[in-house]
Amino acid sequence: MGQPLSEKLSNSNFLKTISLVGFLVNFLFTTTAQNFRDTLRLPLFEVKSAGISDVRGFKKSTLDSVMLIHHLDADLSKILSENSTIFIKSYGNGTLATPSFRGTTAQHTQVEWNGINLNSPMLGQMDFSQIPVSQFDEIEILYGAAGISKTSGAFGGVINLATNPDWNQRLKVTLAQTIGSFDTYFTNLNMIAGSQSFQSHTKAYYSSSLSNFPYYNDYLGAEVRQQNSSYSLAGISEELFWKIKDKHLLSGRVWYNYNDRNLPPTASQYDQNHIEKQKDKTLRSILEYKYVERNFNAVVTTSLVDQYMNYQSDSTWNSTHQYYSWINRARFSYHGVRNLTIKPGLDFTRDWVHSDSYDGIKTRNTTAIYADIRYNFKDIVTTTLILREELVDNDFLPLIPALGLEFTPIRNIDWKISFNLARNHRYPTLNDQYWILAGNPDLKTETNYSTEIGTGFRRLSPNQKFFIDANVSGYYSWIYDMITWLPVEGSNLWKPENIDEVLARGFEVELTLKGDVSDFLLSLTNNYSFCRSTYAQANFENDNKIGKQLIYIPVHNLNTTFSVERWKFFLNYNFCFISDRYTGKDNLSLMPAYSLSNFLFGKNFTLQNFILSLQFEIDNIFNLDYQSVANRPMPGLNWALTLRFSFASPLKR
Amino acid sequence: MRNPFLSLFFLLFLALSLISCSKLSLREKSPGNDPDDTSSKPLSYQHGIFVVNEGNYTWGNASISFIDSLGNSPIQNIFQTENGRNLGDVAQSINIFDSLGYIVVNNSNRIEIVDIKTFKSVKTITGFFMPRYIEFIDSSKAYVTNIQRGISILDLSSGKISGIIPVNGWTENLVCLGSHIYVSLIGEFKEPSSGRKPQIIVIDTQTDKIIDTIPTGKEPIGMVLDKHQKIWVLCSGGYDNFEIPTLMRIDPHLRKTEVVFKFPTGQSKPSRLSINPSGDTLCFLNGGVFRMSTDSPGIPVHPVVNADGRFFYGFAVHPRTGDLFIGDAIDYVQNGVVYQYSPHGQLIKQFVVGRIPGAFCFAPGSNR
Repeated sequence: MGQPLSEKLSNSNFLKTISLVGFLVNFLFTTTAQNFRDTLRLPLFEVKSAGISDVRGFKKSTLDSVMLIHHLDADLSKILSENSTIFIKSYGNGTLATPSFRGTTAQHTQVEWNGINLNSPMLGQMDFSQIPVSQFDEIEILYGAAGISKTSGAFGGVINLATNPDWNQRLKVTLAQTIGSFDTYFTNLNMIAGSQSFQSHTKAYYSSSLSNFPYYNDYLGAEVRQQNSSYSLAGISEELFWKIKDKHLLSGRVWYNYNDRNLPPTASQYDQNHIEKQKDKTLRSILEYKYVERNFNAVVTTSLVDQYMNYQSDSTWNSTHQYYSWINRARFSYHGVRNLTIKPGLDFTRDWVHSDSYDGIKTRNTTAIYADIRYNFKDIVTTTLILREELVDNDFLPLIPALGLEFTPIRNIDWKISFNLARNHRYPTLNDQYWILAGNPDLKTETNYSTEIGTGFRRLSPNQKFFIDANVSGYYSWIYDMITWLPVEGSNLWKPENIDEVLARGFEVELTLKGDVSDFLLSLTNNYSFCRSTYAQANFENDNKIGKQLIYIPVHNLNTTFSVERWKFFLNYNFCFISDRYTGKDNLSLMPAYSLSNFLFGKNFTLQNFILSLQFEIDNIFNLDYQSVANRPMPGLNWALTLRFSFASPLKR
Repeated sequence: MRNPFLSLFFLLFLALSLISCSKLSLREKSPGNDPDDTSSKPLSYQHGIFVVNEGNYTWGNASISFIDSLGNSPIQNIFQTENGRNLGDVAQSINIFDSLGYIVVNNSNRIEIVDIKTFKSVKTITGFFMPRYIEFIDSSKAYVTNIQRGISILDLSSGKISGIIPVNGWTENLVCLGSHIYVSLIGEFKEPSSGRKPQIIVIDTQTDKIIDTIPTGKEPIGMVLDKHQKIWVLCSGGYDNFEIPTLMRIDPHLRKTEVVFKFPTGQSKPSRLSINPSGDTLCFLNGGVFRMSTDSPGIPVHPVVNADGRFFYGFAVHPRTGDLFIGDAIDYVQNGVVYQYSPHGQLIKQFVVGRIPGAFCFAPGSNR
């Protein structure tokens, strides 16, 4: 069986244990599907092994494709807000959605697609509403210092969107069509074709919506429909994977994304003649070579990102921003010496920006050297030391070190305890430095000290009918010199300054239970986070923010998903609770807590190699009239009907 | 139950179902607009000071705080309290005529008319183009400046916009003198200062026609009339620091600039030009609060109130007592503070108000 190369990279006993559990779970529950892998039956029981990033002593979690299959029509913001502890601040349906991860701002969460950074070098953040779920196979979440293995500056963490070759497929086609409330349509085509050594994956999507949902407008004192809210999103990606003798893997990826959206007015700006729109065109391409040997492997990547953005509002604004990023990464891994693994790396990125908001063209070169040194003591303790040094243009950032420890106290029991300590730095964004009239060239880097302790337990019952996965982790993180945009006296300008000191601490609990009870496959997944992220310093005479929670960061965030499957019927209930979010640094004003319930129901019809799947989804079943961000209406009850057709012809073994 | 996993399963599910579904108002809550807050409200808003809290752009959290004539701690968010709905996005100013208050809500493109006694909404006028200030000509007519398109003419008897005086760009302050109104014009909003042609335009209030213009420095953002019937214009020099800020005196009858004072360089931008009750002393913000006699040979160097780490954003001189009212916006993302100083800079009182206190309105009965 052709295993993914990444899985071959892990050779420790511990990972083998996990893989074994994963394999057993898969094996147990897939045998019922006979010769055809019914992917829709898998979600309950797939347990991933090492995944893409192998971080030890640091926290990582994975949401995989089989779990995503019911949500091909969704964007990343929906998936994460329903299935992770990351809080998503959404400005409305299909409009800006930004993350807050472990009490940090959107700029402290880095999003990567197969190892390349998607955050704009200008704004330093990513709009999660721009990424359709159908575009990747797996979401990997690296918490806090775990992100140092990828990049600098991700104090909250890194979200890695990965696509993986499926060497088992000769041909697999999935075609899905969704029709939903407010004239929402989503069409998706995924096609995999190839042999055991060559694979081609094609993904194409088109979605459009009027998104003119009704809501109660407090300023007008009447129920109205959202205005100027339609959008369309289209994209296509092509990925080619070529494997030579299980030693060399060459891959090429291209992804083009086009998004044309009208931006709705706020509730208080409600105007039937509102004109505001944004157009984004992004082309991302990656060329990668991987070499795998028993004790040595290497990955070399080069990629190019071309992003165009145009914003127009009425007759007042029309601005265009264009950037190119050339991103290069080389990673090596060597474990020739007993119990010692050394992974050096080198990154080089060049950003080139032409923006109406900058005075001329701005560029930035970032060079980083990286080393990950790991030592394993008798398979009980693994220590990881990560060192990263960056050079931005002519500025050396202070060293970024991270130390992780992982204990596996009892042999053959998948129970681990991990601990880590790290220092991280974030360099100012190009907007921070160059925004016309506001950019501050004297900004320093932000500094973050963090520590984390966690424990995780996984067990598959001896009769192989029940599975539990439980994790608890606590973190404590201090951010110095945090960059905040402040008003400039006597003008309407804002300017970034290194003034804030923030203390973020909290804990996360994740619990997954799966079971087979009289052939009913049951699953319950829970994610809870408690986060206190507060200002540690005041900056002005009347500044009333010391010890107060940062705005728009909830203290409690809980989501839970219950699903049951039987007779090829599936039913899925998702519940999210978001506690109060303050809207003032003095914590005197707030957005009240809300909870949402989503419901999904469907049936698969299988005939030989074909699956026809019909699914009905109702989001916000209690028709809650809520807002995630003040003054930005969100849709009430809405539904979506999806018809999905797939055909798979696996390779004969 | 046979299996511990299963029991855990259902317990968790049950617990979650209990948390869900409760009918609540899910809009922003702030002091004064919390339905659970039952603090007492005054019988009348007639004798006091209205503080216009702009609120954050697009956040829809503009509010009015009320300071009563005894100087008790302010009552927040009175528009919301009295009318059960939010005021809107970016409240710019209030002006009172007879018993009605006209609240100009810039980014909601509307004027809310309220009864000054009860603060109950009388009428909402929409259809402006980012309105800024309102000035009354007589009991039947008012002019409203806008950031775009021109000056709106308001018919006060019907409460409707009766017309527009088209002007290229952003109009700001209004000063009424005889049968003429003087309006400061900053220029095209989207242009940088270099492309703007700032001027004072003179309008005949009988015909609504522009009869003359007087060029000014960049960004004329303040205008007052002194006791000699001269118009003083404060020019910030441009948001992009195009030129040194200036203060100019204009003879409205000859329509000529008489004096131009240049501000010392290296200081922050001056704003919020006001005049004392006797009309002989100008006051403005420039970091701190400055006082300047209308006979002064130059711009004063020392403030009468030092900013001392505070962010002075709003400012006005009480039209009867001459007290200085200063709004400290702090960092714009928390509730502000209003200071009341004596004309010579003695702190009298300070009040916590709403978000970004920018403008003040002194009801006819407010004499403290």
